Amino acid sequence: MCLAVPMTITTIDGFQCTCEAKGIEREVSLFMLQHESLEPGDHVLVHVGYAIQKVSEEEAADSWALFDEMLAAGI
Amino acid sequence: MTRGAADWLTALNELGIDRPVRIMNVCGGHERSISAAGLRTIIPDTVELVPGPGCPVCICPEEDVYEAIQLALNEDITLVAFGDMLRVPVNVPKREARSLEQAKAAGGDIRPIASPIDAVRIARDNPARTVVFFAAGFETTTAPVAAMLAEGVPDNLLVLLSGRLTWPAVKLLLDSGTPGFDALIAPGHVSTVMGPEEWQFVVDEHDIPAAVAGFTPDSLLAAMYSVLRQLRDRRHFLDNCYPNVVRAGGNVEAKRQLHQVMNVVDANWRGIGVIPGSGFALRNEYAAHDARNQFRSYADASRKRVGEMPPGCDCAQVVLGRIYPNQCRLYGAACTPRKPIGPCMVSDEGACRIWWSAGYRENQWDGRKKSSAGG
Ligand code: SF4
Repeated sequence: MCLAVPMTITTIDGFQCTCEAKGIEREVSLFMLQHESLEPGDHVLVHVGYAIQKVSEEEAADSWALFDEMLAAGI
Repeated sequence: MTRGAADWLTALNELGIDRPVRIMNVCGGHERSISAAGLRTIIPDTVELVPGPGCPVCICPEEDVYEAIQLALNEDITLVAFGDMLRVPVNVPKREARSLEQAKAAGGDIRPIASPIDAVRIARDNPARTVVFFAAGFETTTAPVAAMLAEGVPDNLLVLLSGRLTWPAVKLLLDSGTPGFDALIAPGHVSTVMGPEEWQFVVDEHDIPAAVAGFTPDSLLAAMYSVLRQLRDRRHFLDNCYPNVVRAGGNVEAKRQLHQVMNVVDANWRGIGVIPGSGFALRNEYAAHDARNQFRSYADASRKRVGEMPPGCDCAQVVLGRIYPNQCRLYGAACTPRKPIGPCMVSDEGACRIWWSAGYRENQWDGRKKSSAGG
């Protein structure tokens, strides 16, 4: 439950936003990141539907590669 | 393996660690990455990687799971919980519901959710019905529950909170005098929220090297290199090997919300007992949303094996890093992910399940289960 996944913000409406990663869309809350200025195209680390941190594009790409490996390994 | 990981591995090998060193991780996500990447097989034989208290589902009090089951069966409510919680077994006679999954089969209105957002939506869509959100988790998962309540939820949404803090369990191990590890890899996403400073005590009070790691092999190997080098040079400090994500002070807003909604209290860990200052409880201001406040308690102290792990299950020893999963007598025998006996085989973050999924098939139970890996 503690694993967070980076996603890309597509649309923002108040504290709610839509995020995308690897073709999957999710409704995500930005309530825990209300001190950050965020806009579509930014990457956030999402945990149980809540963005917990803003991350760079490189950081997001690293994590996506990791998840591909873990999926392939079935773990 | 990436270039970065290969470089870290070379550097790590060149340290020439010639005495046994045990490095503990306290995060199911770390253990999953370590097992998936097979890091144990490529680092020097002298270095052991020990999974520690990294699974909130595994240590969620048996009494709380029992309470959730009873609420779902006896009160006119809908119970929602993270999916992992549904198969966690409690100790009851055979004819009674042993898990939320069985309570659901027996007619309880129980639904798995993936996010607090789902709980709010279900409550909003069913205004005439009371919805109880059974929320177990470490800081990373409890903070969103606090955020949900801080933002405001419908009147008919209550929370049965079983949130826990990770570091007090590590403190418990260190204070025990036989911690069973020489260095610590601190959790990446707990530190993202709470700040890396939470782990400073490991260095300051116990003189144990520590490094916060992310979840890629690069970051994990960097953290291992860091703590091994600290041990070699006898210069111990708290390193941050996940600096792009873990920032000083953590997520300040998230911590403010946690503090606004919850108190830190002494809390019970399944099979382990009460650990001081290791749990979250809702503040009085949120009593109207506190399921513990709004329903009678179903606690029954006369229940057999109340609070304990299932018979024969060594999860508590596994969680404390005292034994490896495959040193449990039942590992791979009676207990597999398809037919789990204990919570460590149920949860995605349980070391038993991770090890089994990663292909560790050998059972090394040797009849001396209590102390083979630890201290
Ligand atoms: S193998 Fe099964 S019974 Fe043994 S400690 Fe792990 S979960 Fe418990």
